[in-house]
Amino acid sequence: MSGKEHKILIANRGEIAVRIIRACRKLGLDFVCVYTAPDEESGHARAAAEAGPEKRLYRVSSYHDANELLAVADAAGATAVHPGYGFFAEDYRFARRVRQRGRSLDFIGPSWEVIRALGDKINTKRLARSLGVPTVPGSDKPIYDELEAEKFARTIYEFQLQQGIEHPVVLVKASAGGGGMGIEEVDDMDLFRSVFRRIRNYASRQFKDEGVLIEQRIHDFNHLEVQILAERGGAQIVHFGTRNCSIQSTGLQKRLEVAPGFDPSAVRYRFDAAKLLTEITEHSLTMAREVRYDNIGTWEWIVSRDGTPFLMEVNTRIQVENGVSAAVSSILGKDGTDLIAEQIRAALGEPLGYAQDDIRMDGVGIEYRIIAEDPDRNFTPWVGRIERFSVPERDWLSVHTHVPDDRPYDIPTEFDPNLALAVIRGGTLEEAAARGREFLDVLVLEGKGPSGDLVSNVAFLRRMTEHMLMF
Amino acid sequence: MLDISALLEEIKASPYEETVVRAPHSGSAAFPENLASGTQVNGPSGDFRERPGTLLACIERERNLRAVTCPERGEIVAVHRELHGSFVEAGTELVRLRHFLSRAEVEERILKKALHLFLAPERARYYFTPAQDIKIKTAGPKSVSVRDGEELFIMSRMKRETPLRYSGPEGVLYAVYFSHAADVDTGHPLIGVCPPGLVGQVEDVVARVRTEWKETS
Repeated sequence: MSGKEHKILIANRGEIAVRIIRACRKLGLDFVCVYTAPDEESGHARAAAEAGPEKRLYRVSSYHDANELLAVADAAGATAVHPGYGFFAEDYRFARRVRQRGRSLDFIGPSWEVIRALGDKINTKRLARSLGVPTVPGSDKPIYDELEAEKFARTIYEFQLQQGIEHPVVLVKASAGGGGMGIEEVDDMDLFRSVFRRIRNYASRQFKDEGVLIEQRIHDFNHLEVQILAERGGAQIVHFGTRNCSIQSTGLQKRLEVAPGFDPSAVRYRFDAAKLLTEITEHSLTMAREVRYDNIGTWEWIVSRDGTPFLMEVNTRIQVENGVSAAVSSILGKDGTDLIAEQIRAALGEPLGYAQDDIRMDGVGIEYRIIAEDPDRNFTPWVGRIERFSVPERDWLSVHTHVPDDRPYDIPTEFDPNLALAVIRGGTLEEAAARGREFLDVLVLEGKGPSGDLVSNVAFLRRMTEHMLMF
Repeated sequence: MLDISALLEEIKASPYEETVVRAPHSGSAAFPENLASGTQVNGPSGDFRERPGTLLACIERERNLRAVTCPERGEIVAVHRELHGSFVEAGTELVRLRHFLSRAEVEERILKKALHLFLAPERARYYFTPAQDIKIKTAGPKSVSVRDGEELFIMSRMKRETPLRYSGPEGVLYAVYFSHAADVDTGHPLIGVCPPGLVGQVEDVVARVRTEWKETS
C-alpha cells in the first residue's frame, strides 16, 4: 500500500484474526493482536507473538471492552482498528468513537453513519421498503410488550392462512441477535407467549437488549447473499456475485456456503435463476448507492421455491464466508482475490482501482465450516481437546484456522466451537463437490473430551454436499 | 460423620492464604505511594460490603480510572512497583498479599465438606432459572428449597443455553459458589444444599467456628 504507514489493531480472535494478519502482511501493513486468557493457544495469538521482535500481542480481559481495546491501540501505536465479524463489527457507536476520539483511528469497515443506517434490521427494512425492495413480512420495530407481540404474531399467522399456507409459522427473533442466535419458531399460537418470554430473557442475558422481532417464517427457501464492496465516499460500488448459504444447522446457523447462489447449468429451478440473481444483485446495489455504502457488506436474501426474493438484512462487515466469493472471482484478470485485503485498502482510503467490468466470476466455490458439534443432537457443541488436526495440501483448497496442527488445543467454551473453514474451488458444481468430498475424506480431526471422543459435523457436511444449491 | 475439631485443627495449622491481585484489564498502572511490603491492608467492609478495601492500584484506560482494591484483610508481601506508570496487560500480577482466613472463609471451607455439593457438569457459565433467580435476589439463597430433578440452572456455553436440573437430596439452598460473570470449571461446586437431616451438623459447624476461630491479622 502507498501513503501513510498504518498499523492495524485486530480487535477479534480465531480464524478471522489469522486471515486479517495474512491480509495485512500481503499489503505490507503492520498489525497488533489482542487475546483473552482462554485464547492463549489460539493461532492468532501465536502468529502475533511470533511475528517479530516488536510487541504485537496484548492480553485483554474481554473482546467486548471498547475502552480496553482502544487503550491497547494507543499503547501499541495502532492507526486503525479492524473489528473482524461479531463483537464491535456492526456497532456504529464503536465505529464513531474510533473516528471521533482524541487520537482518531481509521475504522476498517463502513462509516458509522452507514452502519447506523443499515446495521439495524429494522432500519434496513424501512429503507428497503422505501426503495421498493421486497422484504419479509413482519414487525419493523423491536417489540418489548408481550400483548403487543402476541397481537402482531396472530396477524402474521392469520395472513399466512389467508394466503393458503397450510402450516403457518411465526419467527420470534432477538432484535439485537445475529448469526442465527436467539431465533425460535412458533407454529401454535397458544405457545407464543412462552417462546416470546424465552427469547426476551435470552436476548436480555446475551445481548443486554430485550427487543424482539416477529416475522413470517418463509418455508422451503434458499438463503442467498450478495457481496458488495465500495470505496470510501461510495463513488465506486461493485459486487462480487452471490452465495448460497441454505445449508444451516437447526439453529439457522450457516454450515456450508456455495458461490454462485444458483447454478442453472447444473440444477433445474422452477424460475429463471440467472434472472433472479441479477435482480437481487441490482436491488442490493440500489440500496448501497442510496446510502453511499463505503466498504464491504453483504445483503442477505431468502428466495422461495417459486423464485420470490425477500431481503432479510444487511451485514455491514466482512462475513465468515467471504472467502468463497473470493475463490471464484478475479480482478483485472488476476486470481487470488482477497476480500479482506480489499476491505482494508478501501477503508484506508485507497481507490478500488477497478470497476465492475474488471471483475470476473468463474467456476464454483464451496466453503465448509468444520465445527466440533453433534448434528444428530441438535448441533450441540462438543467440548474438549483437539489432539490431531491435519488438512491435505491441494491447489484447489484453502483452509483458514486458528487451531494448531502441531500441539493439542483446548476449545474455549466462551465461543462457538468453530475449528476451521475450508474453501474449495472447482470448474463446475460437480467438480467442486467431488473435491469437497475428497477433502472431507482426507481431513484428520481427532480429540478427546469429558463426554468421549471428538464429535464433529464432517459427516453432515459430506451428506449435505449432495444437496448444494437445491430446494 | 464430619469431624469438625479435626478440620478446625487442620486449618489452624495453616491459617494463611496467599492472594495474588492482578490487573482486571489492560491499562496504565499506578500504585499508592505508601503501599509496600509489610503494609496492613483491609478488605471491603460494612453491612453490605459497601466500603471498598484498601486501594492497591489504579488502572487507567481511555481516561477511565479503575481502582483495584484489596479483596480481603491481610499483609502486603510484594508490590510490583516497577510497573508504576507503565501499560500493563490484563492478568498482570500487581500485588501479592498474605491473608489470615476469616471466620466466614473457615465456615465456608468446612461447610463444603458438610453440605451436599452439586457440581458443574461442564465448563460453562451458569445462571439460575429466572423464577429462582428472583427469589434468591430478593430473599437470599436460604429462602429457596430444591428437590431432585428440579430445573434450577441455565448452562450457557458457546453461546448456547441448556436447562440443567438439580440432582441430589432435597433441602435448603445453603450456599452459592458461582457468579454470572465467570466460567465454572467441570467438577467445581455450583451450590451447597443442606438436607433436613444435616441441619444440626451445619448449625454445629457455624457455632464451633464462631467460638473457636479468632480473626486476627
